[in-house]
Amino acid sequence: MIITVEGLHKSFGKLEVLKGIDCEVSVGEVLCVIGPSGSGKSTFLRCLNFLESFTEGQVTIGGHNLTGPKTNLNAVRRDVGMVFQGFNVFPHMKVIDNIMLAPMKVGKVSRTEARTRGMALLEKVGLTNKADVYPSTLSGGQMQRVAIARALAMEPTVMLFDEPTSALDPETVGDVLDVMKTLAEEGMTMVVVTHEMGFAREVADRVLFMDAGVIVEEGTPAQIFESPQHVRTQTFLSKLL
Amino acid sequence: MTLYFGDILPYLPVMLEALWVSIYVTLISFAAGGVLGIFIYLAKASRFRSLKLISNGYIEVIRNTPLLVQLYLIYFGLGSIGINFNPLWSVLIGMTLNNSAYTAEIFRAGISAVPKGLREAGTALGMPFHQTFRYVILKPGIRNVLPALTNQFIVLFLFSSIGSVIALGELTSTLQNLNSQTLRTLEIFSVGALLYFLTSAAIAVASRITERLAFRW
Ligand SMILES: Nc1ncnc2c1ncn2[C@@H]1O[C@H](COP(=O)(O)OP(=O)(O)OP(=O)(O)O)[C@@H](O)[C@H]1O
Ligand SMILES: [Mg+2]
Repeated sequence: MIITVEGLHKSFGKLEVLKGIDCEVSVGEVLCVIGPSGSGKSTFLRCLNFLESFTEGQVTIGGHNLTGPKTNLNAVRRDVGMVFQGFNVFPHMKVIDNIMLAPMKVGKVSRTEARTRGMALLEKVGLTNKADVYPSTLSGGQMQRVAIARALAMEPTVMLFDEPTSALDPETVGDVLDVMKTLAEEGMTMVVVTHEMGFAREVADRVLFMDAGVIVEEGTPAQIFESPQHVRTQTFLSKLL
Repeated sequence: MTLYFGDILPYLPVMLEALWVSIYVTLISFAAGGVLGIFIYLAKASRFRSLKLISNGYIEVIRNTPLLVQLYLIYFGLGSIGINFNPLWSVLIGMTLNNSAYTAEIFRAGISAVPKGLREAGTALGMPFHQTFRYVILKPGIRNVLPALTNQFIVLFLFSSIGSVIALGELTSTLQNLNSQTLRTLEIFSVGALLYFLTSAAIAVASRITERLAFRW
């Protein structure tokens, strides 16, 4: 198991957002997390790389317990790529510099090496011709692909995606999903919070339905989408159609 | 009465010299106050309650008392207990302290206006906070503060006129002297106002150009 989550609880002040999450992800698995707005999906994902601290429970990634006394969080985060709904590309850096920054500063990779790798990643996400422009000239879909390339530049073993296509124009969603599909096919371990049921159905190995801070139901895409067992899952899915 | 500028023309070099005093007093206190302001901002943004408290208190006291009174305190107040500064030093100290409080607030506002997501992206990449700050937050932060800093520079420049109350020899006090020599009150002060205005305008234009060149993203 590359990710193990046990009894995860998280509160913001008095509001308990995660009420005991248990979950495991194995190497190469693609796990899609679905659920209504406010159910705690983003919070759950953000706990996995400790962008959000948690109140109770254990998260272990690649053998490192996030709250262990000797854990170097920055070192763990280098192996866990994250892609945000709002892209968060660095506006003051050219596309290629966005991608080269972390490898050079934390990975201690030389500039030439970082650039070579960066260009290869841009090719992978189909943006070779955008290497030397500033992000402000890109479409949302292009920015998100830059963000994916930037995360991949650290050669992570796990990728976390938080609704990577929710802020995109419909016509650019496909390009981003294609990149994610390719990643999945290459065997990347992925946890994807998404509203794209088509993607979840096609790419996920397992789907996890969250509501009100708990995992209500999980199973293969076929199980969740064709024959959901729980009423809350049924209601949620029927609203989407 | 008729306006006549001919009388004051010979005094123009004196005025320009005085203008230069205003400018360099501003430059020095802006730079020194800016550096001090960074430390006050860092204290305010730190985790330590006592540092926060002190820096907040400092900012509030400075921002809620008149610069003129601050200057009197330094020049006359400290003078009365035997700590004597000449007019130049008094003005430099007063304007530096005053500027530091305002710039600390400008830095705070500018840095906190950098989208939280950028910091999170830096953190998620495994960069420790000091790297995230230096490579991710700083430049957008500077871009955010540049207009406010320019404004503050101009305000400070205009504030340098309070030097006249302790006869610093900057532009306003020189205008007062020339006025009593020539009695061309309207002419003297309108030319003086024009000099202040043109300098401020030049600063504003220079700042816009810097912004264009330095922040091309
Ligand atoms: N930083 C925060 N401070 C306080 N409350 C928060 C914070 N972040 C999230 N919450 C609350 O926690 C709950 C869960 O939020 P979360 O963003 O995890 O939901 P979500 O399932 O990702 O929703 P969505 O589909 O809208 O993105 C919400 O009620 C939200 O208001
Ligand atoms: Mg969310």
